[in-house]
Amino acid sequence: MTVFHFFNCAILTFGPHAVYYSATPLSEYDTLGTSVKAALVYLGTALVKLVCLATFLKVSETDNFDPYQELLKALIGFIDVAGLYFALTQLTHRNISQNHKFQAVGLGWAFADSVLHRLAPLWVGARGLEFTWDYLLQGLEANANLVLSISLAALGSLMWLRKNKPKTLIPIIYACAGIVATMPSITSYLRRGLGWQFPKVVGFELFTSLVMAFISWQLFSACQRPSA
Amino acid sequence: MAHRKARERDMLDSVYSMLALVFILVACVELCDAATVVDVYRLIQYDISGVPFGSRLASLNHHAGSLHFSPGADLSRTVVMIPVRELNISFVTEYVSRKHPLGGMLFLLPEIFRLENGGGGKDVREKEVVKNVLLELEKLLVHAKLPYPVYFAFENDEIDAVLDDVKKNDATGQPATATTGGYKLVIPIAEPKKVASPTITNIQGWLQGLKADGDANQLPTIAIVASYDTFGAAPALSVGSDSNGSGVVALLEVARLFSLLYSNPKTRGRYNILFGLTSGGPYNYNGTHKWLRSFDQRLRESIDYAICLNSVGSWNNELWIHVSKPPENAYIKQIFEGFTNVAEELGFKVGLKHKKINISNPRVAWEHEQFSRLRVTAATLSELSAAPELLESTGGLLDSRHFVDETSFIRSVQLVAESLARHIYGYQGKNIQIFADNSSLAVNPSYIRSWLDLLSQTPRVAPFISKNDPFIMALKKELADHTDEVIMQHEVLDGMFTFYDSTKASLNIYQVASVTFDLLLLLVLGSYLIVLFSFLVITTRGLDDLISLFRRPPSRKVEVSQEKLANDNYECVMV
Repeated sequence: MTVFHFFNCAILTFGPHAVYYSATPLSEYDTLGTSVKAALVYLGTALVKLVCLATFLKVSETDNFDPYQELLKALIGFIDVAGLYFALTQLTHRNISQNHKFQAVGLGWAFADSVLHRLAPLWVGARGLEFTWDYLLQGLEANANLVLSISLAALGSLMWLRKNKPKTLIPIIYACAGIVATMPSITSYLRRGLGWQFPKVVGFELFTSLVMAFISWQLFSACQRPSA
Repeated sequence: MAHRKARERDMLDSVYSMLALVFILVACVELCDAATVVDVYRLIQYDISGVPFGSRLASLNHHAGSLHFSPGADLSRTVVMIPVRELNISFVTEYVSRKHPLGGMLFLLPEIFRLENGGGGKDVREKEVVKNVLLELEKLLVHAKLPYPVYFAFENDEIDAVLDDVKKNDATGQPATATTGGYKLVIPIAEPKKVASPTITNIQGWLQGLKADGDANQLPTIAIVASYDTFGAAPALSVGSDSNGSGVVALLEVARLFSLLYSNPKTRGRYNILFGLTSGGPYNYNGTHKWLRSFDQRLRESIDYAICLNSVGSWNNELWIHVSKPPENAYIKQIFEGFTNVAEELGFKVGLKHKKINISNPRVAWEHEQFSRLRVTAATLSELSAAPELLESTGGLLDSRHFVDETSFIRSVQLVAESLARHIYGYQGKNIQIFADNSSLAVNPSYIRSWLDLLSQTPRVAPFISKNDPFIMALKKELADHTDEVIMQHEVLDGMFTFYDSTKASLNIYQVASVTFDLLLLLVLGSYLIVLFSFLVITTRGLDDLISLFRRPPSRKVEVSQEKLANDNYECVMV
């Protein structure tokens, strides 16, 4: 029953987004509009990234890790950060607290990322008769991505929306934001340069996403204390 | 208030219809991306006078099983993968004779039998072991009626890995079904249809002899005939290198040698030579029968004798001449003596076998019998000592390129050419070698080799060869190179035999997960989402909110009834 398998993988990939929205106070404050706007910003960012990649990147025949190409990809990856900055600061949001704003933006961002990157392979591949573990691993990756996006949005809101931050914490905030922003490059280095298998890479992503979420939560609550 | 409710209902309706559409789209399962795709060849399917034989189905969509299943297991939805190397013929015999229900059979042939592998000397011992098994298997399958698909495939790494996995699964005692996972074999092919009017094509070449001036009578003719088509369990693999590829190549080589002699009027003999490549051999030499019927009466009477060639490529030290006229007949004696003399010189024996023909019996075991029925003297030269049964020795699975022994084959060609030449030029009994080795008229081994190689890679079951098949065109061109006049005769195969198409297909092997796995996964994912939901509710809204989620309905009813009571009181008061 391969439609069954498709259904299973789909709820693993997209279920957590819906659950996050309905479980947290986001649903009470009706922040769906914010998430949708963030998703649209992600779409625009992805298009800009595509154009830059096509213009500046060489097509490599082998699957090896080329440091210069990867550096270039990382630089283009910072367009992501710029997009997130735009979504957090420039869009008009209804009267929702900062607490909920970054969550909504992160959620919309992660949902758009999952749909764009994972829906098409799932549709084409998971419905076939042949069974592989790939699509379940992809779903787990989507979960890790959700956590990472929300952490990045939290750090972003700390950097750009909060004015009075304790001086000692500022470099830590920027460092963590830097790590989270370069996650794609790190995973591609692991896959290509060190030759890790897909399950190992997904495990690494899950672990780091939980760690970064915990650190950003601590940073956020630390910054919250002076203003509270 | 009502407006909003109507709009909400409309939205819900559209959402539901969208969901329905999505479900319909999702339900089309795509059969692409198989892990392994293998070429498979179907067992032949044919009728003799309406009686069905062979495998009657073509499409396949079942789980794979191996021979290690537990006895008494239900195999009606399983395809049994049987490597021929480990085959115990009694299993197949039992299954076929008792008509047990089976999803299908897939026989795995060793790689050495592949058409592209020419002469594999190293694995000859392996072949011996498999040879007898294959012979019996082929005979059994061709004469049985099997209401399920039967396919042949060649072993390779991927299919061996699949078979090992399947054996391991079977060893645990669970037959592969939808609930236990395993491998699924799928051949998406249409139902086999009858071949409409199977054509048989006879090709004849005529070498004109030297007519002296003032010679009013027709020159006598000698005919050399060989049938070129085959029949076997797997028609896409029936190349018949020995039966009767050797006969065809011998005929072509003799034609080449005599065309060299006849090209010069000084060495042209006083006989016409008629070369005939006939089709329909396995079906009681139907093609030869039709070919002879098309002859002019004068031509038929002018034929001195005909030599038919049938399997002359893999013998050790004795060839046989089969006749239907009694051996005491003067003509037969003459022919036999001629052959024996040459054979003695070449160092082997030739025996004579007599088999009377029964006009009322439709079975024609040798090609010369078709000539004898029309009162033409004929004999068949063959390595077989006994007459083959119907559809036997017609080039089956075993008859591949290494079955032909080149040295003995060259000796057969020398025998035929030398005996004919001595008769034509009147050198009977004299020790003159016309086609001596190292002469310009020697038998050419590379010519023979290249034609044998070509024939060993061309399956030639007559109903599946069209009129304009490239192979038939090649034969025609070759004969035209060596003879003066080539005529092609297209006929329809006798109505007694009916054939069905679909001889070759692609097998997709999928590794499938069982339904229980999917259900388990659904359970795990459902619980994961529920846990995630509760965790998020507790951390962001507090534990009380989580509990209140389950307590809301009763409290609302109480609220509503209280409100109603309050309203009624208010109304009473107003009134």
